[in-house]
Amino acid sequence: MSSTIVDSAAEFDVRDYLRKEMMPHFLCPGCGHGIALRALLWAVHELGMDKDKLAVVSGIGCAGRLSAYIDANTFHVTHGRPLAYATGLALARPDLHVVVITGDGDCLAIGGNHLIHACRRNLKLTCLMLNNEVYGMTGGQVSPTTSETRLTTTTPLGNSEPNFDACALAAAAGASFVGREVTHHVPKLKELIRAGLAHPGFAFVEVLSDCTEIFGRKNELGSSAEMVLRQKSELRPSAYRDTVNTPFRSNDLPTGVLSKRDRPEYGAAYRKAAAAQRADAAAKDGARTGKGEF
Amino acid sequence: MSRPNASNSSAVSEELRPTAAAAKAREPMNVLIVGVGGQGVIMVSKALASLAQSKGFEVKQSEVHGMAKRGGTVFSHVRFGPQVWSPTIPKGEADILVALEWAEGLRWLAYLKPDSGIFICDTKRIVPPFACLNRRPGAPLRYSRETPAEVREHVAQAYAIDATRMAEELGNERAANVVLIGALSTALDFPAEDWEKSLAQFVPKKTIAVNLDAFRLGRSWIAEARTRVIEAEAPATRIPVPAESPYSVRLEITQEWCKSCDICVKLCPERCLRLNAERIVELAQPDKCTGCRLCELLCPDFAIRVHLDRVAARGAPA
Amino acid sequence: MNAVDKLPAPGAALRLVSGNHACALGAVAAGCRFFAGYPITPSSEIAERLSRLLPQVGGVFVQMEDEIASIAAVIGASMGGVKALTATSGPGFSLKQENIGYAAGAEVPCVIVNVMRGGPSTGMPTRPSQSDIMQTRWGSHGDYPMIVLAPASVREIYTETVRAFDLAETFRTPVVLLYDQVIAQLTETVEFPDIGDDARAERKWASGPREAYQPYAANEDGIPAMSRPGGGYRVHTTGLTHSESGFPTQNPEAVARNLGRLLTKFERHRDVIDSWQALDCDDADVLIVAIGISARAATRALATARAKGVRLGLFRPVTLWPFPETALRAAAKTARAVLVPEMNAGQLELEVQRILGGKRVYAMHRYDGEPITPADIAARAQALAQETAI
Ligand SMILES: Cc1ncc(C[n+]2csc(CCOP(=O)(O)OP(=O)(O)O)c2C)c(N)n1
Ligand code: SF4
Ligand code: SF4
Ligand code: SF4
Ligand SMILES: [Mg+2]
Repeated sequence: MSSTIVDSAAEFDVRDYLRKEMMPHFLCPGCGHGIALRALLWAVHELGMDKDKLAVVSGIGCAGRLSAYIDANTFHVTHGRPLAYATGLALARPDLHVVVITGDGDCLAIGGNHLIHACRRNLKLTCLMLNNEVYGMTGGQVSPTTSETRLTTTTPLGNSEPNFDACALAAAAGASFVGREVTHHVPKLKELIRAGLAHPGFAFVEVLSDCTEIFGRKNELGSSAEMVLRQKSELRPSAYRDTVNTPFRSNDLPTGVLSKRDRPEYGAAYRKAAAAQRADAAAKDGARTGKGEF
Repeated sequence: MSRPNASNSSAVSEELRPTAAAAKAREPMNVLIVGVGGQGVIMVSKALASLAQSKGFEVKQSEVHGMAKRGGTVFSHVRFGPQVWSPTIPKGEADILVALEWAEGLRWLAYLKPDSGIFICDTKRIVPPFACLNRRPGAPLRYSRETPAEVREHVAQAYAIDATRMAEELGNERAANVVLIGALSTALDFPAEDWEKSLAQFVPKKTIAVNLDAFRLGRSWIAEARTRVIEAEAPATRIPVPAESPYSVRLEITQEWCKSCDICVKLCPERCLRLNAERIVELAQPDKCTGCRLCELLCPDFAIRVHLDRVAARGAPA
Repeated sequence: MNAVDKLPAPGAALRLVSGNHACALGAVAAGCRFFAGYPITPSSEIAERLSRLLPQVGGVFVQMEDEIASIAAVIGASMGGVKALTATSGPGFSLKQENIGYAAGAEVPCVIVNVMRGGPSTGMPTRPSQSDIMQTRWGSHGDYPMIVLAPASVREIYTETVRAFDLAETFRTPVVLLYDQVIAQLTETVEFPDIGDDARAERKWASGPREAYQPYAANEDGIPAMSRPGGGYRVHTTGLTHSESGFPTQNPEAVARNLGRLLTKFERHRDVIDSWQALDCDDADVLIVAIGISARAATRALATARAKGVRLGLFRPVTLWPFPETALRAAAKTARAVLVPEMNAGQLELEVQRILGGKRVYAMHRYDGEPITPADIAARAQALAQETAI
């Protein structure tokens, strides 16, 4: 009788995908972004992706710093612009697998315009937005996803701005794959990212991550461990939630794959049209040369 | 295949019916309903609670579900009687344990009254996610190693029902919980019509018919089971069990990477990790570690690697 | 397909094209295979042309959501190893600045066309101007080197576009092609020169074992070799100040060494980078220093003045930045006065003053959206010649 343990985690050693000389990484103790990075690399591993063909483009912020630790082609670009850089890279190099790592501020505030157009364009890219409800890197200012009433260094009275449901935004803008997961459910998060990576168009994956040192402290959310556990107790699965009629609250977010659509992938569509044009031109040229033009 | 398995107590007299017994003693009736997220545990408990309330009992229902969605443990305590104080059922005090999933049922067995508790359990097996019962090295193998026959030895009355398959055959797998309600109804002395009325309130309108069928099927199954002799156990739903665990667990800790965040320590299901004097993680109780990898997966700093080492078979050359 | 969007046969065709059109043709000839842009007058024709030309040669054209995205996409494409171009005008050029600084700091080759129009702000979209001279050099924050080319004719736009790519690739740097609205939309008969099809510069690519490769190694020529994604090197590129390894550093020595190399990397290649036109400078009493449309007006002024016996000379930097200062000093040897006509409130003038130290430098400013005329320049230069006569 064979006795195999069904355990994909056993074959996956995250260190095989890290630039070990860069470790330990610069994130604060307990920062959820580290867990998200593991999930991404695990998904990369499971898909058997070639590190040489993997390009990670990240913006500025704690989330943006993650690319430096990945043993791949990594590009740490300007604040808010990773999707735009990635668009150029992916169009120019369709042979690469381009993944974007961005933060909530990076992606939704300064980079919001690029996000909606990336969703609309549907170029094959995977956008991993690490949402920790705050501008971690700059010391804890309010972000477009900060829940109402939360304290930040720029909302000393409690945030009174309504926040974004990034997934609803992405879906509305046309993203052909939209999903959300918490860092607490590492295997589920890995599955979601994996589905996003395998998706043949633009995939938007929001990861609910914890800024333990700054946001957690400011809002007295307890230790890193307590923050991770809170994800478990405060989030409800999408199956129980009417996404249209329930107002968005950060503690009532649907998770899992939230939207999936079959739309033409932009890069392939462009290359196809260009090839047709070239074939057409070549035919005409041939006809002309036939007439003896010199 | 997993034909209905009969109870080892073939006759249940009216006197022994828990409701009547409990009422007599002016003790609350304790029903514990367990399962995993998404199975409909809460629906069972609501149907029961509302029925008991309509009969004039004081009812307390407490549940934990937010914590364990899709695949995690969900449980609900329903207590009713002339007077109920505490909302939760202490260990060893449940009159009835209804389990929608086999392993979950086993996990909660200790809550049943040792000498009179009734165990009603779906044989449905959902291999739990990483933090469940499933813990020791070679863990999936250990999933519910106990057979229904073994369980029966420890419980006054046990019914192992393949409710999920029965519901499937009715055309709606999701009605498995209602098959179990049917079974449960036989253990309490509320009239069947009232059960059916209560049920109708808690299932989607479109599925009322199939759910009523499921309820009746559950009831008749119990009736039949009580009159049937024990059959051979059905091995098909069982996962092969090796004689002993072929793995030993080893934690590889990269001390220089650990930032003392304590996440692994607090989230280890076995509580076998701790921070040492330098506040670096260490495995304090290696014998307790099951190799579940939760610490490895949740460490934001990649400081832990869990190795499941294959143990050489006994007697094999070194 | 529009008949006009034919690629010119090298060295052959005599064609009537506009400056922007010539830019598009030059880009394709130089091997540009990626364009990202956002429409803005008076540069949009470059995008329109390339949207038709690039697919013909297997390239990609994409219209992005704004100018920031455009430059970002261009840098992204270039990081992928493809020669890339964006084109814009004042407002869009302002938006691109942060990312131009990124390209300079991370040493990613790319070409940015800035067709100058009146400013500040939205300014005069359809009127010419030369008021971005300083912005092209200093537009992004921090210290960084920059190459800016300032063609003055349609033909030169073509050749300088090609040269812009060659310089960008050779020296791993963004290069700005700067010209004004007049030349951009001027249509001239152009004989396309043979730019030597196969001699196009390619960036220095990484070679050798991965362990030995340093993405920002100084090398003998101060220019690090770049790695192509997919080539096995798997390097990190960042806008943070980095060491030779490509990873961020704040170690003062490493910063001084690496930033120092970056800031001086053009110095020992000035022979290749510098480019200028010196007209009648050998005996000039008054030297005119001008670029673009103002230089064209000055050429005309030179002829009229010489006919009258007034010795004018013209120095026209084609490489505007780094400014060809040695050449300017040489050209100004005999000049008693220097006149800088420019369509702004005084920018080129500052650089000329800096370089020519003791010389008397006079400026002619015009910022009303009208070009400075040859007559104006001739008159002012003649007056200066008289005033400064010994
Ligand atoms: C143009 C620009 N504006 C502002 C900043 C400063 N800045 C750095 S990171 C950051 C916010 C990052 O927040 P988020 O994207 O949520 O990432 P986190 O640090 O929370 O992971 C800001 C505003 C910058 N680097 N560049
Ligand atoms: S500041 Fe917050 S987001 Fe940034 S590393 Fe620290 S915990 Fe993480
Ligand atoms: S989770 Fe990781 S970093 Fe945190 S205490 Fe445990 S081993 Fe250390
Ligand atoms: S130490 Fe890690 S692997 Fe062992 S039981 Fe605890 S969490 Fe699981
Ligand atoms: Mg953030």
